[in-house]
Amino acid sequence: MRSMRGEASDEELMLRYGRGDARAFELLYSRHRLPLYRFLLRQLGNAESAEELFQDLWMRVVNSRGRYQPRAKFTSWVYAIAHNRLMDFYRANGRASFLSHEESESVLEDLPAAEIAADLRLDRKRAVKRLLAALGELPDAQREAFLLQQESEMSIDEIAAATGVGPETAKSRLRYAVAKLRARLGKES
Amino acid sequence: MIEGRDEELSKIYRDAEEPRPPQRVDDNILAASQRVAGNLRRPATFGFSRRWGTPVAVAATVLVTSTVALMVYELQSGSDAVAPQVPRGGRTAKVSPVEPRADQPRTPPPVVLQPIAPAPPISQALQSERAEQRPGESAASTASAGARQPAFAPEAPRASDVLSKREEVKPAPATAPPAAASERARATQQAPAPDALRAFDVQPPIRPAQAPAAAPAPGANTLRESASTLQGSGAVSALTSRVAVSEAKERTPEKWLEDIRKLKIEGKTGEVERELGEFKKRYPDYRLPEDLR
Repeated sequence: MRSMRGEASDEELMLRYGRGDARAFELLYSRHRLPLYRFLLRQLGNAESAEELFQDLWMRVVNSRGRYQPRAKFTSWVYAIAHNRLMDFYRANGRASFLSHEESESVLEDLPAAEIAADLRLDRKRAVKRLLAALGELPDAQREAFLLQQESEMSIDEIAAATGVGPETAKSRLRYAVAKLRARLGKES
Repeated sequence: MIEGRDEELSKIYRDAEEPRPPQRVDDNILAASQRVAGNLRRPATFGFSRRWGTPVAVAATVLVTSTVALMVYELQSGSDAVAPQVPRGGRTAKVSPVEPRADQPRTPPPVVLQPIAPAPPISQALQSERAEQRPGESAASTASAGARQPAFAPEAPRASDVLSKREEVKPAPATAPPAAASERARATQQAPAPDALRAFDVQPPIRPAQAPAAAPAPGANTLRESASTLQGSGAVSALTSRVAVSEAKERTPEKWLEDIRKLKIEGKTGEVERELGEFKKRYPDYRLPEDLR
């Protein structure tokens, strides 16, 4: 369970932490702290809620140390926890769209393969701003799929496992997200 | 390339400013994780002490208790033996006296504190022996006194006898003793005086010619010196009775009964009863002879 660079894998660190190695947790935290926080912040659009969920998420990791079994990648496991916490948050805040919103493959096929505007290619700062704005307008599920891919570099299957859907659904969400973002970045220049 | 990933979008996304969780959130999480890890580790050490603490404590208690008991026992036994040069056989004889066999050569007995009767008879014996003893030969006679007597023979001199003889001898070296006597006395004094406790170690048999009989242990010397100091002040009887008590522990039942019998013949019924009482306490299963029942 070693990474390619000879470092301890996430799973090994989590097991070590389960045996009482606090340093292992620190390493694990330093690896996943920023991606997880960004994922939550961009998914929620609210720093306060993101901090709350972020802390709650890591406390769940801490409290799960004894039960942790490396059946899947640590990343899949921890983002699955994040997904479940987000679902709870959406339920508690009346954001039920996440649960019901599903796109069909047929609709996806109708989406144009937009090109990113030439000026945005040159103005990276504006492009970033535009992308983050477009990301906020995406349906929660699609945004989640996109963010999971960007932040944790998960495969389609891993995204599906973390979000509790089938691989096809995960793939569909991701394609929708990308198409919509590209469309937004290509429309206005 | 990751499946379904738009590299162009990914580049733009990576250029985005990286928001970070506040420091306090980091601190809270890390503190909680360390607290939990500390709790996880502690049972490992506590578990050891919890698992082994009681057995180790019990074992240590047993060890210390038995060591102390053994030391006390050996100290008592050692202090009871006035003269240290007791072959191992002499010690075992305390427990199970063995009659000297006729075919064995009569070796000089080890000098031990011989069983004595209670205080009054000893005082009488002291006085009578003092009267019999001549002043000049006291050192030599004292030195050989123990050697003449077997360890538990009935006629063996009592410890108080040896004691009293040494008391009388003591001034002799100070006042120019006769040459022969002084040499013998010097030999006696130069004889190794091992620790009283070493009386339990295996020692070579004493050759009859040398018979370094009364080479007393330091403790025994002190006892005798204090006895001589107290002599004349009337405290000697108290001391001898104390010695008698300690010697009574060393007596064989037969010897003890013999002493009691003597007391009975002398008509000292009170002491007879007291001695019999002590005897019964010490040897509850011993069957008393008809005349002492």
